[in-house]
Amino acid sequence: MWESEVDGKKLTFHLSGINNQNFIMRDEETGTWWQQVSGEAIHGPLKGKKLTRVDNDEMTFALWKRENQQGRVLKPDERVKQKYEAADWEEQYAKFRVVTPVDPNDKLSPRTLIAGLVVNGKSAAYPLPALEKQRLILDNIGSGGGVTPIFVVLGDDNKSVRAFERAVDGRTLEFYVKPDTSPIQLIDETATTWDFSGKAVSGPLAGKQLKKIFALKDYWFDWKIYNPDTKVYTLGESPPQSKQ
Amino acid sequence: MNTTLNETGKTGKSGRWKWWLSLLLVVAAAVAMVAIPVFVIMPFKAQTAAGVEWSYRLRRWSPPATVVGTILFLALCMKLWRGSRWPGRLAMPALLAPLLTVTWFAQQNHFEWMFNPLLNANYARAGEAGFVADGDMVMAVKINGDEVAFPVRQMAYHHVVNDVVGGKPITATY
Repeated sequence: MWESEVDGKKLTFHLSGINNQNFIMRDEETGTWWQQVSGEAIHGPLKGKKLTRVDNDEMTFALWKRENQQGRVLKPDERVKQKYEAADWEEQYAKFRVVTPVDPNDKLSPRTLIAGLVVNGKSAAYPLPALEKQRLILDNIGSGGGVTPIFVVLGDDNKSVRAFERAVDGRTLEFYVKPDTSPIQLIDETATTWDFSGKAVSGPLAGKQLKKIFALKDYWFDWKIYNPDTKVYTLGESPPQSKQ
Repeated sequence: MNTTLNETGKTGKSGRWKWWLSLLLVVAAAVAMVAIPVFVIMPFKAQTAAGVEWSYRLRRWSPPATVVGTILFLALCMKLWRGSRWPGRLAMPALLAPLLTVTWFAQQNHFEWMFNPLLNANYARAGEAGFVADGDMVMAVKINGDEVAFPVRQMAYHHVVNDVVGGKPITATY
């Protein structure tokens, strides 16, 4: 999701092409072509500009409703309703072929879904199958002085993914999934309980809010094109030692 | 006397083939200009950076260029019509048809034929959105207290929705 304004000018975007299975948008005001996944102007008068990302969550409707009872939901367009994707669209899409070169040594198949994070210019990908097995992944993004301790968590709907910085007031915390909780809750070493929105609901840190990190659900092949230096989380790898 | 007539006739003809060639070139150029980007930026095909760049250029210039081409074509036809016999006169509309087609196509966005854009975004209250199943994914955004969910099954069709959330103009893309 993007802010529509660039340098104070409001742009109206249209679907206008495809570039290696990621679509191209064209703005009606200047005719510039923009890459959807990166928000970058690739050709035209605004070439080189970047759209400002609006962080959004990808989550199940049930979970969203629980957190946002006052919210509003985009209504289907009656004219094209029958053309909307089927309920099992994810399974269908997973079978689509990939046109970009596939690295034979790649452990992940191109259509593996990943949760992609970018923190201070460093990117990391967390495969959904790994999240389904572990539910919660603690990690550090970056190296040297620029390390950000984070965690990625999969909701109990097995679809909603969120990521947070796991430092509170400068202290890095270890998190665990609190057993037998639905909706899922986490607990840290201070015995504070946290909900899926990153809020401390009880315990010594009650009331604190973890800083959310935007997690993009994307196919591995697509993420890799736009984040060539990404690291990939491999299942079973112990989380690196966090530095205080 | 006969010879002279023949000779003038010949000169006339040898000059005319150049006009006919121009006519053909105008049509061929217009068709290529419109068709090439359609084939290069086709879904389920790999694109190169150069391919995308050329597609941009052709898409950018084909709308005015095809209009200019059509005017040029008609001017050439006017020039050729008088001296042409029926095969030539038949060829003109036959060539005009593809030219008009691509001139019209250049003004279109065929990607929006495949995926209709959402013109007016309308919303339902969270509790009244019976059209979304609990297990369906939504793209959720919250700006200035305005909480909006864009159901992914709708977004995966429209791909782009331009709207305002919490007073801020946004573009939801999927």
